[in-house]
Parts: sequence; structure tokens; C-alpha cells
Amino acid sequence: MDKRWLVMRVAAILVIVHLVSCNDNSIDSSKPAASLYEPSWTYKCIPDEGCQRSESPQPGVHANMSSLTFESMDLCRTVCGRFGGLWPRPITAALSTQTVKIHPNYLRFDLSNAPAETREVLVQMTQVTTQNLIDECDGNVTEIVETPVVVYITVKTSNLNLTWDTDEQYRLDVQSKEKNAVIHIVAETVYGARHGLETFSQLVSADKPDYTDHYKCSLRLVSGAKIWDRPVYKYRGFLLDTSRNFIPMDDIKRMVDAMATVKMNVFHWHVTDSHSFPLESRRVPQFTRYGAYSAYDIYTVDEVKEFIHYAKVRGVRVVIEIDSPAHAGNGWQWGKEYGFGDLAVCVNAKAWRNLCIQPPCGQLNPANPAMYRVLRDLYRDLAEILPKPALFHVGGDEVFFNCWNSSEEITTYMKNQGYETDVEGFIKLWGEFHEKALKIWDEELADAGHAAGQPVMIWSSELTQAHRIHKYLNKDRYVIEVWEPVNSGLLPQLIRMGYNTVSVPKDIWYLDHGFWGNTKYSNWRKMYAHTLPRDPNVLGGEVAMWSEYVDSQALDTRVWPRAAAVAERLWADPAGAAGGAGAAEARLNRLRSRLAARGVRSDVLAPAWCAQHDQHCL
Amino acid sequence: MKSWGEAQWRSASSNFSRVGRLRRALLLLAAAACTAAGVLYWRQQTDDSAHRPLQSMLAGVEPQWSWICRNDRCERLLASETSIVQSLPTCNMLCASTQLWPQPTGPVSLATAAVRVRSNGFSLKVLASPSRQVTEHLNDAFFLMRDDLRTLERTAGIENRRSDSATRDVLVRVAVNGSGDPRMKQDTDESYKLALRPSGKSLVVDITAHSFSGARHGFETLSQLVWLDPYTSSLLALEAATVEDAPKFRYRGLLLDTARNYFPVSDILRTIDAMGACKMNTFHWHISDSQSFPLRLTSAPQLAQHGSYGPGAIYTTDDVKAIVRKARLRGIRVLIEVDAPAHVGKAWTWGPLEGLGHLAHCVEVEPWSTYCGEPPCGQLNPRNPNVYKLLERIYAEIIELTGVDDIFHLGGDEVSERCWAQHFNDTDPMELWIDFTRRAMLALERANGGKAPQLTFLWSSRLTQSPYLERLDKKRYGIQVWGSSRWPESRAVLDAGYRTVISHVDAWYLDCGFGSWRDSSDGHCGPYRSWQQIYEHRPWIEEMPSVATGAEQWRIEGGAACQWTEQLASGGLDARVWPRTAALAERLWSDRVEGATADVYLRLDTQRSRLLAKGIHAAPLWPRWCSHNPHACL
Repeated sequence: MDKRWLVMRVAAILVIVHLVSCNDNSIDSSKPAASLYEPSWTYKCIPDEGCQRSESPQPGVHANMSSLTFESMDLCRTVCGRFGGLWPRPITAALSTQTVKIHPNYLRFDLSNAPAETREVLVQMTQVTTQNLIDECDGNVTEIVETPVVVYITVKTSNLNLTWDTDEQYRLDVQSKEKNAVIHIVAETVYGARHGLETFSQLVSADKPDYTDHYKCSLRLVSGAKIWDRPVYKYRGFLLDTSRNFIPMDDIKRMVDAMATVKMNVFHWHVTDSHSFPLESRRVPQFTRYGAYSAYDIYTVDEVKEFIHYAKVRGVRVVIEIDSPAHAGNGWQWGKEYGFGDLAVCVNAKAWRNLCIQPPCGQLNPANPAMYRVLRDLYRDLAEILPKPALFHVGGDEVFFNCWNSSEEITTYMKNQGYETDVEGFIKLWGEFHEKALKIWDEELADAGHAAGQPVMIWSSELTQAHRIHKYLNKDRYVIEVWEPVNSGLLPQLIRMGYNTVSVPKDIWYLDHGFWGNTKYSNWRKMYAHTLPRDPNVLGGEVAMWSEYVDSQALDTRVWPRAAAVAERLWADPAGAAGGAGAAEARLNRLRSRLAARGVRSDVLAPAWCAQHDQHCL
Repeated sequence: MKSWGEAQWRSASSNFSRVGRLRRALLLLAAAACTAAGVLYWRQQTDDSAHRPLQSMLAGVEPQWSWICRNDRCERLLASETSIVQSLPTCNMLCASTQLWPQPTGPVSLATAAVRVRSNGFSLKVLASPSRQVTEHLNDAFFLMRDDLRTLERTAGIENRRSDSATRDVLVRVAVNGSGDPRMKQDTDESYKLALRPSGKSLVVDITAHSFSGARHGFETLSQLVWLDPYTSSLLALEAATVEDAPKFRYRGLLLDTARNYFPVSDILRTIDAMGACKMNTFHWHISDSQSFPLRLTSAPQLAQHGSYGPGAIYTTDDVKAIVRKARLRGIRVLIEVDAPAHVGKAWTWGPLEGLGHLAHCVEVEPWSTYCGEPPCGQLNPRNPNVYKLLERIYAEIIELTGVDDIFHLGGDEVSERCWAQHFNDTDPMELWIDFTRRAMLALERANGGKAPQLTFLWSSRLTQSPYLERLDKKRYGIQVWGSSRWPESRAVLDAGYRTVISHVDAWYLDCGFGSWRDSSDGHCGPYRSWQQIYEHRPWIEEMPSVATGAEQWRIEGGAACQWTEQLASGGLDARVWPRTAALAERLWSDRVEGATADVYLRLDTQRSRLLAKGIHAAPLWPRWCSHNPHACL
């Protein structure tokens, strides 16, 4: 051990000597020949114009740079402008344009003002923060400074529940003197404190020049800051579909890392669909045996539990959706062989165009009591996995009546129930399904020790039309996720009727649009420009990644940075001229490189030249 | 309630076994009927470990699905319900489709039986070669192919497995009768013939071609007859095959713009690999633009110094050599385009410092929208003789680096007349442009040892419209037509008999459909060009004047997909370009009459898996269920 340390020390000294001698060279040579130095730009923060690249490339070391000129664009952005490099932008912020060098080795978190019950999760949150800082330097902060940095975290309540009533606000105060830096984060809950830590990490930037393979890297912290911040909307979601194509757990976690970076708080996991059923159920192993793409493409119960905790440490609540009664097929096709009759009908039907909107077809069989028994077992598994208080999504979209109509068993059942086989009859059957499913969910949830009356989410559909919804869906229990296009009147109608809603306008906030059919791609500007009504019944919004044309290969760039644009819309909802994309672009560029440092490959906004010349590509 | 799960399992399993047996019997009958040869082969060949999941990548994990070829399609069945457990790749390879991409244009016959092989068992014998250089290239290209197979083995963790008696060696015998120049050139004959057959305990492959590139394409086809079977964790190869093949178009390109955003060398090398896998032959490298100039030339290092995004965003001459080397072994030429006289920028601003006068005007001028199509602006100074001296040096070094001397690309698009008019109000800017082109061509001639390349490309532009088009010599200039296929001027170039490369914006621009990257415009081209659209674009069929009309025949050299990168950077490259460019590759190689039929979906899906195995992050065509159930999603 000792010996190795010595070798490293010697090596370090050699490196230092080498660096010094290099510096001497460049100082000695009065004017280096053109080919002897590498081009490099500096960036100057100009008030109201943002960071601007220097007129010409600067040779070598910049000895006497002014205080607002930087070799690193990221660092320039971190201090430039009212909100620096923060994303989403806080409600109020006053930032210094000065920075101090810090090193993670001398970073300490003081949790003495946090209730004992919160400390375990707080410690994990601070570990994420520290890792994020180190990642700013690609994992190696080479320049050691011994300035002590202490983050005092004050949390007022010991409540660890993460719901949409969780108080997420925080205050962040940074003060630094020559010898130390002191940071205070004050929040009601650990989740508010986590947001404070995230913002703190966004006040730190690496100072290494852009586009360099230089090894040298140090971290700089904005030397003074006062921030008060809280979200405008309670529900800031990202939907990921893992059924059309399987998405490995590592990718999902990376999505949550990015969500935490932009303070999104709901991971809506559309885990199953008619295509595949990758979620392990201990009570019903047939789901994955008959529904997973392969033995490797399964989320095990242990993985899911670990993931839920992983998300919680990042301030993200996991909402699992088991889509039903439609969008269910593979995974449910084994009933007959096991003596339970058809649990689902039209599964993988060949003439799919008559029976569903996209192949493969499949819809649960509401005439078969065994289906409800299987559903109960699945719900019980989920009730045991989901954190308390649980939020569950029953799906409930795009029921294709022709499919049910093609099953004699179902039409007979409907006759016996006194339902006509017309639209209203099928609607009744559909409503009956949700009524029964909700009852089962409530019972299993209670059995698993959850409090009664937890909200359940459901997609908007024919069932949720204004003239119908009150007959089938209780507004005290259901949250309606409205995916109708922007010009639809459904959202305001439901709000007026007193339903809690989450808004996902498909023509703006669907990330898969633009790659199939007549759909149109929304770029980040379009996503950012869309605003939601400010109403207590609008819990928030969501951006949705359906995975027909995306898998592990294309995921990151399809989602980011567009999802971040929605995140800021939901967190800060900036208004007026200062709330447009033009004002946000520089900060979003900073976020992009932050995400890259954290391992998320996001799409680029524009040519790199534009990123080096703020406001010049309008 | 709790015990229900167990009870269900018990009662069900007894029920299941009954149903299962029946099914199995039926299945065997059907399977035997349609894949008799294959099945029998399987049985004898993989002996002891034959018909159960043999070895899986993880111990204790069994494959869930088995694919059986029925009525020329692979059907997915539960593995527990079938007597033969067969993976999807193996079923696809042994069922009806050829699974080759691009589809060969000559006769193809393929066996429906597979044998086990391993990368180490592949060896090369060069039977005939016109030059030592070709022989060396054959050897290196063969090693590259073997590396690709080894990569496949590595994904299954079997690269170090010993061969057993069931593993066949593969002897590849190559005969090249023709050009001794291994470069991909205008007149290179890319055709090849391949014959694979069992011989004793090994397989023998005979590849004959008239050039190195042709033989290399033969290697590529051979590698497509080899696949990794995930269930047995082994490489399999078809037992016998014959293929005759030659491309329909001789120019099959992909343009990558590395100026709007920088792409690391590794991205480019990966792109070259993917192109090679699809038998494309021209990497059109749009290396500079007004935004940046990342190429550090020995003859003019100032360009990158002033024009690159930073010291880490540079292509050194060694980088370029490595790319050219890899490309050549993949049968690809690297066509570097330094766009001029427009689309230049900061890189050209050091003239006054070194006493060379203004090399460029309007650089980063505001308001940009008056002087160019997108920020920042910049245009070469056509009256400064130093510009042409510099161009000559640039061209000479590019030709030396790439070894491409029979074709060249001068750029030449989107010249702003306003910019020049402001500085030279005595002359019609169009005349300035014509004069610039003439002098740049002279510089190119000097750079190329006093000889003009056989074909020098210009982008279609106002210069390639009447009355200016007529002033461009047909013997020298070719036009890369990027306008919409419906624009009359796109057609006029063809009707006038110029040699053309088609890059219609409405079909083959890969950057379309992502909205505007600026606040003030409502968009770049759109919508997104799907692979089906790319595949089905055949302007030469719809529009070509018939011989009967007496009009001049169109002289289409081929086509190129264009990946401009205003809205793309490293990280998103592969999924944006692939598999869409593979669709173009088949259009240009095979030019099949059919559009995106079921067979095309199936083969492209397989090709996408091949690209993934090579480390290319190609986007999926559809939900995996559709791959698992061939034909069911159509």
C-alpha cells in the first residue's frame, strides 16, 4: 500500500515538473509559430448577450484573463445571466459572478438539523450530489484545493412519503470567504432538500477548456447565491414504455438520473402492453414466461424494488401502469392451457386491422371471472412492491369494441348482464371492468397495509368523455391523464367537473411523434412553448416516450433534452418575453453538457458555433 | 387467496402436459414437413446437446421461444411446446428469405442447412491477384472480416472456446483477375461471384472478382452467411451457397457533415464499418463549413487553428489516414469536400495577419439573414489570388491523404450574391461565381499533377441552372442534385446530360423532420424521411425520358444520403443514420423493382441486428414483437 502511494506521489511530482517546464517554454518563446500551439477560444460573459467566443483563438495559457472571461464555456454559463446555468430555473435567484475553487474531498454535509429518520436517505442523496460534482470533471478532479466546503441541511419534517402533496420547496444560500465556503439548504422535506442539493451541484462547474483532451480539471463554485425555489406544478412526469421494445434497467436508471437533474418527480412506467410483459410477478410467473421477449428481458421483483428506492433517492416517484382492459395480450395468452379459459381475447390475432389499432391485438376478457383472479394476484404483487402511499395507473385507453364483439363468450356475458352490444353497451362493460378492478386494487392494497382510498390514474378515452365520465369514474378516486391533442376541449371540461388531471397533449409532448404516420416532431422549442392551465385540478404534465421505434440504442437522444424543456415548463412555468425559448437556450446548452457529464447523451440544439455565440442564431 | 397461485400452478401443469403433448405431436408433423432437411441435419449435427436449450449465456436461464419455419415464415412458439428449440436468427437464415443485404442482383442459391464454424477456422488463400498491393489488401480485408466474426463470438463469450469435431474449418479462396489498383475508383468493377460448398470436413468458399473491391464485397456477403445462434452459443454458417452479384449504380454514398457539429474519429470509423456492411462505396465527408473547419492540414494549419471549435475538435492528418485506410479495406473511398466559395467562415480570417489580404468576406456578419442562409455567414474573396494558391494546397493535400484522384467535390452551393455584390459592385456576382469555379478548377488541376479528375462534382445551385449550366463542361463536371425531386431545375440538369449523383432533399436528406433550430424560422425541411420512403424513391424510373423521345439519356452515377448536422452531434449519430442509410444502400446496389415489401422488412431487420453486433447503435424498425413474429405486423 505504502509503496504504491509513493510511486503515485513521484508520478504526480513528475507531472507537475513537466507542466511547469511547458509553461516556461510558452512564456519564453515570444510569438509561437502558427503550428506550435493548439487553437483555443475563450468565452466572455457579456450582460444581456450571454457568453461570447473570443474574436480569435488564444495561444497557450491565459495569464491575465479578466474576471468574466473563461476558457470553459460551461463555467462562463454558470455565472452568466440572472439564472446562470440552472435548469430548471428557480423562482428567485441572486447569483454572484465570482467563483471559488473547491474539491469534493473537502466537501462535507452537515445533517444535524435534519430529523434522525431522514438522515439515511439524506446521506444517499448527498452521495449522488458528490458523484455528480466529480462527474463534472469526467470522474477526476485533478486540482486539489483544501478549502473546506460545508453544506448544512435543514429538514423540518421527518415525513419520507413522496406524493404530489409533498412540499418540494427549498432555500439555498451560498457564502464563501477566502478560507471556506458555507452552504445552507433549508427545506420542509427531504425531497425539497434534494432539490436544493441538485441546484447546489448546478452552481458548480468544471473549468477545463471546451473540446479539449486536457487531463487537468478543477471545480469552481459560484461564490455567493441566494435562491428560493418551489415548483409550479406538483406532477412533473416522464413516461417510458418498456413493452413495445424492452429497455434495460441501466437505461431506465439513467433516465431517472436525468429526471432528477431537471427536478422531474414522476416516472410513469408503462411496463406492459399487448406486445410483451416484462414485469416479473411472483404469484403469476406465467406473465413473463408467456410475455417476455426472452429470459433476459425481464424486470425481476428485486430489480424493481431496488429501482423504486433508487428513484426515491433522486426525488422521483415510480408509478407503474398495467394497461387494461385493452393493450393486454402477450403474457395473458396461457389461460386455456391452464384450465382458466381465455384471460384475454384477440391475442395476436392475424387480421389485426379489425381488432386493434396496432399489432399485436389483445384485450382482457371481462366475461371470465378467472381473469379477475389473475389480476388480483398481479395487483397483490404490485401492492407489495409499490412504496406507500401507492400510486397506480390502470391504463384504460383505446378499448376496441370490435375485439370484444368478436368473442361469443363476451357477447353472451353482455346479454346476461343486460348490456346491448352497441357502443353504450360496451362502454358499460368497460366501466364495469374498471369498477371491479378498482375494488380488487383497493382490497389488495389494504391487505398489503396501505391506507384506504389511494388515487388511481387512468388515461382519457371514450369512457372519460364529459357526458359519461361521472357514471363510471369517481372523481375522488381517479386522476385522469388527458392525452387528447391541444385543441381538444376535454381537459378544461374535466377540470370544471372537478377531476384531477395530468396533461400529456399528444401532438406536443409525445416524444415518438414525427417518426411514423402523419405525426409531427415537436422539438424542444415547441415543447417548451406549450403551457398548461393554472388550476388546482391540473396536477401537472408529462412527456411520453412510447417505444415502438426506440430501444436501448436510440433512447437518450430521443428523450433529452426535449424532456428537460417540459421539466422547466412544469417546474417554473416562465412567462413573458423572458419565458421564451430564446432566453432559455443558453441554460439548456449548459444542461446538455451537464447531462453528458452524468452519462446521458442528449441531442444537440444547434450547430456548436451557435452554442459558442449565445443569441447569434436567432 | 394466498394458496391460489400454487393451486393454479398444480392444476394447470397437469392440464398443460396433456395439451402440450398433443401440440408437440402436431408440431413435429408440421415442422418435419417443411424443414425436414434442416431438422434432420440439426439432429445429427449437434448430437448430444441437440434438441433442448443447449447452453445459454446465463446458467439456468432457458430460452422461452422457439421459431419454426412454416409456409416460408418463422413462427414463434413457446420453447416448452416444441421438440426443436431454434432461435430466431437461425430460423430466419434457414427459412425462405435470403437474409442478404443488399439483395444480390444475380442468381442466388442457398442451402437450408447450417454447420458450426468458428472465426479461427477461417483461412484465406489468394489464388490469383494482379498485384502485390491487391494481395495485401485482400489479406487485410479478410482479417477485418474475421475480426467481425470474432466480435460476434465475443458477444456470446465463446471466442476462446475450443473447436470440436462438429466445427468446420472454412477455406476462402480468392481470385482477382483485373485491376491491380486496390482503390475504389470510377471504373472499378465491383462484381463478384461466390461459391460455398462442403468439402470433406471443411467448407470451401471460392470468390472471384475483377477488383479488390469486388472481392471484398464477396467477403461481406460471406460474412452475412454466418451468424451467431444465441441458443447454442455458436457461430453457424450455411452449408452451401452460390451468389452472383454486381451493383446497379456505381456511386453509393453517405454524406456526413462534421462542420456544424464535430464528430470524433471513432464515430466516423463506426460509420465506415456500417457502410461497408451495406456495400456502400463513397464516404462523402463534408468536412468544413462556415461554422467550423476541423481538418488540420499540414499545408495550411491556420485553417483549423482559426476555424475549429477547439483543440479536441480536430482531425489530424493521421486521423484522416486511419479513416482512409479502414475505408479502403471496406471498399469505400473517402471523398473530402471543402465547400467553397460559400459556406466558409472564421477559418479564413487570418489572411491580413499573414499579409495575404482578405481571403474571405462577410465572415460572421450581421444581420446574417441578409448574407447567407444560416448563421454564421462567410464567402471566399474571388478576387484574391492567394485564395486559389491556398485552395491548390488544400486540394493537393486532400488528394494525397485520400488517394482519390479520379473524382473530386468542389462544393459550390448557396452562394450569396448580396455578399459579393457589396464588395464588388462592378461585376455581376454570377460572373464572379463562374470565374471562381473556373479558377478553383485550375487549382484542382495543378493540385492533381496537371490533370483534371475524370469527374468533379458541384452541388446543384443557381450556377447549375440555365443560362449558367451550359457554361460548365460536361466532360469535367458532375452535379450532385440536392433539390427536391419535383423541382424542374433538378430535372433540367439530368435532361441536359450531366453526370449526376442524386441526393433529393425530399427523399434522401436524413436531417429533415426535426423542426427548426432557430427561433425565427418555422423549420428546416420536413417531415422525417422514413426508411420506407428512402427505399422506394426511384426517380430514374418515374421520370427518365424514354429512348424513343430522342432526348438525352440521364446519366445517373448513383446517389447519396445526406446527414447534415445542424441538429445532430456525437451520441445521436448512429440511430439517426442507421438503418435508414442501409435502405438507400440496397436501393442503389440492387434497385429492386419492388418497394418495401415484407421480405425487405425482414431482411432489413436482420441487417439491423448485424449492425448492432458491429457496435452500431441503429434504431429499431418496430416493436420487437414484430421481429419475433415475422410478417405479423404488415
